[in-house]
Amino acid sequence: MTDQADQSRRNFLYVAAGGMGAVAAGAAVVPFLGSMLPAADTLAASKTEFEVSTVEAGQLVVIQWQGKPVFVVNRTQEYLAQVDGHDDMLKDANSEAIEAVSAAWMDTPEKRKYRSIKPEYLIVVASCTHLGCIPLFKPTKGRKDWGDSVPENWPGGWHCPCHGSLYDISARVINGSPAPHNLHLMPYKYLSDTKVLIG
Amino acid sequence: MLDKMMKSKLFGWIDERTGAEAIIKSQLTEYEVPKNLNYMWNFGSLALLVLVLQIVTGIFLAMYYKPSAALTYGGYTIAFDSVERIMRDVNFGWLLRYMHAVGASAFFVVVYMHIGRGLYYGSFKGPRELLWIIGVVILLIMQGAAFFGYLLPWGQMSFWGATVITNLFGALPVIGEFIQQLLMGGFAVGDPTLNRFFSLHYLFPLLLAAIVGGHVHALHVVHSNNPTGLDVHEGKSTIPFHPYYTVKDAFGVGVFLTIYTYIVFFNPQMGGYFIEVDNYVPANNLQTPAHIAPVWYLTPWYTILRSFESKLLGVLMMGASLAILFVLPFLDRSKVRSARYRPVYKQMVFLFFITVVVLGYCGHSAPTPTLKLIGQLATTYYFAFFLLLPLVNKFEKTKPLPEEI
Ligand code: HEM
Ligand code: FES
Repeated sequence: MTDQADQSRRNFLYVAAGGMGAVAAGAAVVPFLGSMLPAADTLAASKTEFEVSTVEAGQLVVIQWQGKPVFVVNRTQEYLAQVDGHDDMLKDANSEAIEAVSAAWMDTPEKRKYRSIKPEYLIVVASCTHLGCIPLFKPTKGRKDWGDSVPENWPGGWHCPCHGSLYDISARVINGSPAPHNLHLMPYKYLSDTKVLIG
Repeated sequence: MLDKMMKSKLFGWIDERTGAEAIIKSQLTEYEVPKNLNYMWNFGSLALLVLVLQIVTGIFLAMYYKPSAALTYGGYTIAFDSVERIMRDVNFGWLLRYMHAVGASAFFVVVYMHIGRGLYYGSFKGPRELLWIIGVVILLIMQGAAFFGYLLPWGQMSFWGATVITNLFGALPVIGEFIQQLLMGGFAVGDPTLNRFFSLHYLFPLLLAAIVGGHVHALHVVHSNNPTGLDVHEGKSTIPFHPYYTVKDAFGVGVFLTIYTYIVFFNPQMGGYFIEVDNYVPANNLQTPAHIAPVWYLTPWYTILRSFESKLLGVLMMGASLAILFVLPFLDRSKVRSARYRPVYKQMVFLFFITVVVLGYCGHSAPTPTLKLIGQLATTYYFAFFLLLPLVNKFEKTKPLPEEI
């Protein structure tokens, strides 16, 4: 009798002590894993200013924000016209699939189409939403300048060299690409007519 | 010679305090091994040799290598420059680096042969299931170690390879972003990534050394399979490991080192297969090279990834292609081990080997529609091979087995 009572008490103590030990070990993992997350100074370096007037008409520059590449394109009237007429080729023509491709200022269909505060200056994160390569800028229509790296009905935009994702001139992903989403937008605002604050 | 040494006074003194004699007997001189092992059984000891080579050359490289992405006056980075310094200024630095870089490829050649041997002769089947599973863990850790190491020279391929692979983890639902940040330590591959990859690159091979210990221990409990796949009976069909197989393994080491040193001295980059040409271009986070591909030993899995339109599916299938190796012992239900006596399995496994080579070729080449289709077919067979196994033994007529080897 007493033997049995002892056993079940002991078992309880084993489980309780073991359980506490497991909780403590689990808690000890937090600082170790936590130390691997971005450090405070990495987080702090998260705003960038840029003068968009330095980008020539029709040109693209790549700048850095949070260590990530960012495209700034100065779209000519001709390029802006290329935004229309291929909605059926796009996975997400209105940029609504996920939060990262949308923005609060996208309040009109026009803005959803151009994906920028000022239509001419498109500013997007330059990482392909597939696996993060930087797509190549192939802005003109058709295959004339690009050969068969782009489809015949190419509307102009970007071609990712890594696994062949295609984006139109508003950085919206084209059907058949391995990339799931349009290129991401990041928060930005105009401080003056031509100066933007990214982040 | 060994028996003379074991009779010495010194050995007796050590033996009393460590039990060395019993260990040597049970693991070497009286450890029984089937007498009919062919040269496919040399790759295990070779893998051990290459692991030691990698650890030794790595420790010496680490005396000069500096894991920092900070810019130098020359406009490159401290890490890139430190590798170039190893190549040009450090005494024998070029030799250490070439031994290490060629060693990484040699490691995978040897281990892939070792795994192929296991597949062909049914070494993964009972009672060796756990031995096989430990082996798959070793493969995964090796791939991790090589991936971490490849970032260290901080060239274009290092940088963009790491970007693509860390983004792969980011594709996983719920935990993906967390894992990606743990790996990168920032929002993109950068200096924190390089530091932690160096730390992990040091850790993983040491983990390997420990797990290899477990692998060999598990082997010595269940003993080696053999080309016939028959269970062997001690004494009749076995011989002691020492001296018979120590000598045979030593011969294998000689052949291996001849080829290895030839490559190290005369063709260390192997035409861009062992060290990719683009990796001599310093990392530039604002420009992706026109064509990026992993080093050859990871390309089969890279093709599986690329074969799916959906990113998540690609990532999951790539994971599945490795994970399925864990359950292989339970998928194959045939009582006969060796492909020698299994006509259907034999053809399947040969086709599987060809498939992996095709997958590797596709992953190494720039993507074209034809190659994509070939890659997709090969991916299909890769999985079909495993999934058909439970059905095969239902209709396969195995050949009669010999009584004894
Ligand atoms: C499993 C064994 C190992 C494998 C497969 C492996 C693989 C690699 C690879 C592929 C590289 C890049 C080579 C290049 O292109 O230059 C590398 C670099 C490096 N590894 Fe390892 N390694 C292993 C063990 C170790 C160990 C134990 C150390 C010790 C700390 C080490 C230290 C280094 C260093 C310092 C570099 C940078 C120098 C260089 O790029 O040559 N490695 N490793
Ligand atoms: S990273 Fe752009 S297509 Fe894969």
